Amino acid sequence: MKRLINKYTLLLVSVLATLISCSDDENLENLNNTLFVRHKNADMPAYIHGNASEKVFLIILHGGPGGYGLSYRGSTIKNKIEKEYAVVYFDQRGSGMAQGSYSKDGINVDIMAEDVLALSKVIKHKYGNDSKLFLMGHSWGGTLGPATLLKDQSPFLGWIDVDGSHNVKGLYQEYISNFKRVAAEQIGIGNDIEYWSKVIDFVNGLDSEYNDINDMYDLNNEAFFAEEKLEESGIINTEGSQDNNVIFKYTPLTLIWNVLNTQSILDENLFRNVTYTDRLSEITIPSLVIWGKHDMVVPLGFAQEAYDNLGSSKKELVIFEKSGHSPMFSEPDLFADKVIEFINENK
Amino acid sequence: MKLQLQLLIPLILSLIKGYSQSIEDTKNTSLANQTFLERTEFKIAYSGSIFWNNGLNFGTEYLLKETIKVKNRRGSQRTNSHQFLLNGNLGFTTNFATSTDTGVFTNYGITWRRTNKKGKQFSIEFNPLGYYRSFLPETYKVSGDNVKKVFLPGRGYYAPSISVGIGKQRKNKKITRRYFNINFMLRTPYNAGALPSFNFQYGYRFNFKKKKKNEKID
Repeated sequence: MKRLINKYTLLLVSVLATLISCSDDENLENLNNTLFVRHKNADMPAYIHGNASEKVFLIILHGGPGGYGLSYRGSTIKNKIEKEYAVVYFDQRGSGMAQGSYSKDGINVDIMAEDVLALSKVIKHKYGNDSKLFLMGHSWGGTLGPATLLKDQSPFLGWIDVDGSHNVKGLYQEYISNFKRVAAEQIGIGNDIEYWSKVIDFVNGLDSEYNDINDMYDLNNEAFFAEEKLEESGIINTEGSQDNNVIFKYTPLTLIWNVLNTQSILDENLFRNVTYTDRLSEITIPSLVIWGKHDMVVPLGFAQEAYDNLGSSKKELVIFEKSGHSPMFSEPDLFADKVIEFINENK
Repeated sequence: MKLQLQLLIPLILSLIKGYSQSIEDTKNTSLANQTFLERTEFKIAYSGSIFWNNGLNFGTEYLLKETIKVKNRRGSQRTNSHQFLLNGNLGFTTNFATSTDTGVFTNYGITWRRTNKKGKQFSIEFNPLGYYRSFLPETYKVSGDNVKKVFLPGRGYYAPSISVGIGKQRKNKKITRRYFNINFMLRTPYNAGALPSFNFQYGYRFNFKKKKKNEKID
């Protein structure tokens, strides 16, 4: 028995010792840190990686709503951007491994924007007030980004909008017209005529205005599927390899559960009411708008709309010719070059 | 629907009838003479989902009631024991990759366990009283412009659980059984609702029971 207890005691001690010894690497040239931001009853993880020797931090707002920060830590962001600057992968409220305790009223765009500002305060508190912050939003992150900047843009030196949905309210009608346009083009050049003809039938069968959230979900799903078709036709580059280890950093059930819950709370209001188009002029920090030419999820029309309406005196629109909704994966080198160039010019 | 019920009800009744007819003898084991340690078993198990969360679970079980049922089926006699046990657990779990899902949990409830003649066991463990305390890495609380590092950051959740498992009894051993459970735990309130989680538990039960000479364990 004594031998048995000794064996298990040894096992327990070694497990605890391993846990305690898991300290973060605070070397600024190669940060590898996970910290949580506690704000308004939520605890949200920020995974900070890369070179912070210049105290430049690129905060990435993930898609979704309900996505997860580390989904972007692969390909070019890890391999190129992290070499130059620190990247902050943030799990938003109700997303990824964020936890907390709040009512359904405790999660909305306003509070989530305040969470991002809270994150910026934490970074400045931890790494110094001279930290230089850049904000990047992809897809839904392109909704949350403007919402944050319209509350307070002073913490940030630049805004990078990557296929961002600053006008969620306008998405439904833009989906329909974009599907019709792309389908006509593809049929015209003889690509996958059967599929694109079905797409035209599908959108023709929908109401012309947003009424039913399920129609919106169907359009969104079809948009991802359409991009796969464009990829098969060679119009969009095949997405490069991503960080496979990310699957071990998130419990899948937690991830799926969070995304379903968060979307069920947020989506209806987003699709019906949320647009920042008329207020983009209030964003005056330098801005870079990056868009995949063949984005079916947040169509290209929104790229010009974002660029035209941003109030920044220094702004640039870059269209990625061989990309869909995720240019960071389909044209990774160009993506990294453009982001690093933008930060270099504005840091 | 009506037709389905008409077919289903006689089927269930005939099964129950058949089952009851097969029971030849049922008797309750007298536990009054057993000491606390004789009625108590301890357990230690790996608890986790292998790829994501990993941890250990320690527990104890106290035998409340035991019934021995002897059945005659297809000419052979089968002896099964059915036990009701009070159950308590204390465990911890973590995901080593990011430390974003580390926690300590404890839960209490009741276990029903069936053991057949060969020592194969099936059990259902229901723990309505449960608590999960998460432990977060470095955490900063933001209130307005004020940023403050949190001491011992984490959150407490009501965490009831249910486990369904199989096991094998080991005769005449201090380590009396090994078992495998699939555990479902709910953490609530979690974000704007509740969080379900599934874990495996693989471990051993043991006791501090003094063995009597010529003791026979079924």
